[in-house]
Amino acid sequence: MTVTQERPAVEVADHQQLVTLKIRRYDPEVDPEANWQEFQVPVEKGDRLLDALHHVKWYLDGSLTFRRSCAHGVCGSDAMRVNGVNRLACKVLVKDLGGRDGDTITVEPIKGLAVLKDLVVDMDPFFEAFKSIKPFLITSGNEPTRERLQSAEDRARFEDTTKCIMCAACTTACPVFWNDEAYFGPQAIVMAHRFIFDSRDEGADERLEILNEKEGVWRCRTTFNCTDACPRGIQVTKAIQEVKRALIFRKV
Amino acid sequence: MHHKYDVLVVGAGGAGLMAALYAAKGDVSVAVISKLYPTRSHTGAAQGGVGAALGNIGEDHWEWHMFDTIKGGDYLTDQDAAEVFSKDVIDAVYELEHMGLPFSRTPEGKIAQRKFGGHTREFGKAAVERSCYAKDRTGHMILQTLYQQNVKEGTTFFNEFHVLDLIIENGRCCGVVAFELATGEIHTFQAKSVILASGGYGRIFKITSNALTLSGDLMSIYYRKGLPLEDMEFYQFHPTGLTKLGILITEGVRGEGGILRNKDGERFMERYAPTIKDLAPRDMVARAIYTEIRAGRGCGPAGDHIFLDLTHLPPEQLDAKLPDITEFARTYLGIEPYTDPIPIQPTAHYAMGGVPTNIDAQVLRNNTDIVPGLFAAGEVACVSVHGANRLGTNSLLDINVFGRRGGLSAAAYANSLAAHVDLPDNPVDDVVALLQRLRDGGGTENVATIRSELQETMDAHASVYRTEETLKQAEVDIAGLKARYVHVGVADRGLRYNTELLEAVELGFLLDLAEVMVVSAKARNESRGGHFREDFPHRDDVNFMRHTMAYKDGGDIRLDYKPVVQTRYQPMERKY
Amino acid sequence: MIKAKSLTDARSQAGSNNELTWWIFMRISGLLLVFLVLGHIYMTFIQVSESDATYDAVVSKLSNPAWKFYDWLILVLAVMHGVNGARYSIEDYVRSRPNRFWVKGVFFSVVGIILVLGTVGLFSIR
Repeated sequence: MTVTQERPAVEVADHQQLVTLKIRRYDPEVDPEANWQEFQVPVEKGDRLLDALHHVKWYLDGSLTFRRSCAHGVCGSDAMRVNGVNRLACKVLVKDLGGRDGDTITVEPIKGLAVLKDLVVDMDPFFEAFKSIKPFLITSGNEPTRERLQSAEDRARFEDTTKCIMCAACTTACPVFWNDEAYFGPQAIVMAHRFIFDSRDEGADERLEILNEKEGVWRCRTTFNCTDACPRGIQVTKAIQEVKRALIFRKV
Repeated sequence: MHHKYDVLVVGAGGAGLMAALYAAKGDVSVAVISKLYPTRSHTGAAQGGVGAALGNIGEDHWEWHMFDTIKGGDYLTDQDAAEVFSKDVIDAVYELEHMGLPFSRTPEGKIAQRKFGGHTREFGKAAVERSCYAKDRTGHMILQTLYQQNVKEGTTFFNEFHVLDLIIENGRCCGVVAFELATGEIHTFQAKSVILASGGYGRIFKITSNALTLSGDLMSIYYRKGLPLEDMEFYQFHPTGLTKLGILITEGVRGEGGILRNKDGERFMERYAPTIKDLAPRDMVARAIYTEIRAGRGCGPAGDHIFLDLTHLPPEQLDAKLPDITEFARTYLGIEPYTDPIPIQPTAHYAMGGVPTNIDAQVLRNNTDIVPGLFAAGEVACVSVHGANRLGTNSLLDINVFGRRGGLSAAAYANSLAAHVDLPDNPVDDVVALLQRLRDGGGTENVATIRSELQETMDAHASVYRTEETLKQAEVDIAGLKARYVHVGVADRGLRYNTELLEAVELGFLLDLAEVMVVSAKARNESRGGHFREDFPHRDDVNFMRHTMAYKDGGDIRLDYKPVVQTRYQPMERKY
Repeated sequence: MIKAKSLTDARSQAGSNNELTWWIFMRISGLLLVFLVLGHIYMTFIQVSESDATYDAVVSKLSNPAWKFYDWLILVLAVMHGVNGARYSIEDYVRSRPNRFWVKGVFFSVVGIILVLGTVGLFSIR
């Protein structure tokens, strides 16, 4: 069902354009069914999708609910499905979504996690998966008085996967995860990669065994959805393949 | 619902996570409450680095760092705090490395360091490489590393719980009241020690590098109890934010060789700070930029911004050292930093002031006495290490050094108490009444409209340049907005994730803090660090070498003053 | 979700599944099949003219144990490769445990019968 708001024509200034946001709404306190709702939003050239969503929340319908914080793509709060692909609302400009006059942009919650209200999903299973791969440096023996030494090459080995902001865009873009909530998803593997390939870490064996479990890294079907979805540009599928290789050859 | 812990940490950014780790070492039960998920905290947005005199590149000593911090703070810094700070931070950086923080490395494999604004060798002779960094995502790495350590230690987290009241009974803090976003339920948390680590309030300004969630909640809650806020007139404007958006472009860009240019292409910082030029402290650079813009030397059709020029730096260096900020320029402005300069303008960045504490992070209820059971660390607190102007990198030190001290103090205090202090009879009444008034009041004023008018007036009248006249105007505007705030309406009547309701509550906090800032600023008839009065353009050590303490007194604000602690270094004129 | 709390736990759980072995098998069998099948096509359709492709010719070729083994290898690898691929799909898309049990049961039985029939047919040629 699509509800279009009955409103007088929106005023649009010269430097603005009008786009339609088609948003998946769900609030079990009001209606047990989710439905689509459309809003006409005036946007400026540099506006982020987040700005358009804020326009709706602040001036059209205060009940529209979504998470957001930093608004420039470093906190990972506002991952959502935009025109069918996972994006951070604060890191995609409306004009880059084909947001020209009259165009419609669809916005839905990320898939595979339970929707709680509008664009807010239950993140707990996602964080549980993250915790299960022992996401912390494991070392033995006494700490040195100063820093541990690490060559620039060794540091570069895991650079890509340190960028992860845990927005869940990759995990919720993965078709395996959509159907199998037990699969811990790309993000947890990325996090494991960050430690497995850190020359200072001594927990690689342990993590590799965890990833070798039935719902582990072998569930990956290499669809590259995760790599496409990552707002930080992490080569997620590559990281997963590197973990698989480490498991086969038992060499990091 | 009721919860009981020995130590409660409010806020899960760097300071809160560090405090939780150190409190847990004291064999006490610890819980962390945050209105976000921990990894969303704004510590993650910090870029440039964490300054410590490791001397990995060039010779460096903690005394030089201490001096720079004091001089950078325009001598309003409490020197005992600065001493503790510059000594402790060296171990703090090594500890972060041991926890797994992936610092960038020197060719010998040591932690890499680079130059940063205001950090000098031999008491001001030349810029020194002191900022330890992990590319341009140092804050992200600190936040991730500290969260990882908390996962390792099994810390209890209450995520998406919005703290709306502190319970202070007979002068002692004994818990907090929080609103659970997912259900709308009100929870009471009883605790022997409460550590405030909830960050700043940059959202009183329109152009800000701060997250949308930084509304100074706990500062305001503390202040509403008639307890003081220190040095609220001192607010830092970071010189380089993306124009119009305010997104932070790290000082590390200039540390790597980036140059500020006006519309004539002139490297104008040579005129304002002949010795260290573009690497002068933030307050001086921000003022220099506005001076250029006012003199008609701004860039762009409206002449309202300045260029940050990186085009002379090799693209490989930008990719290796500053990958994120080049990406910001491309994503948000469509600018290619390899070939084109980045348009920037100063952006509201950091509160030097806040909840007054001593060097053990104990919160002060006046110039000398503490509130037993209450601690604060990070941006929410004013120790005061940063004085009138914080140096770049020093905030990431602050969260580590004082987060740690706060955690230890809180655990020690909790262990000294045999039992929890009893809560008052109806601790949640005030919060319930506040929410009910907003939700069911049927008001017609729009929260977003009032907030944006507040931000406009603060940007126009209380930012980098201030005069008595502009501050009076801001005061009048805020009073008008507060009157309208009484009539705000909330359309969402639900309990589940009612973020509209919480935005309305947050606006109340912002209005309070904006008012305190303006009143404190109006009374300080001098210019010092981040507080610049055009009608009093010089520093006045005779009358104003003292901290402002602002108390809520009925509907008014009462100002008192606290002496500055001076130990090693005597005030001098601040030249770079 | 992963339940392992220690390395021993993880190892025992990981040890109880053959996903690693199957993953390697899929790569090796896939690669082998490419060459085996190409060879088969070459011999059947290019090397031999249409008039030569008689029943007797096929029987006489397959009386050589080496060629018998060659064809049997294609049969086994193709069936196993296909069956495991289909198992992945079933596990991806059939989420209810009882359904998955029955779908897999029927599927494996049918494939088992095909494999046995093929083997019997191949080796009954003398």
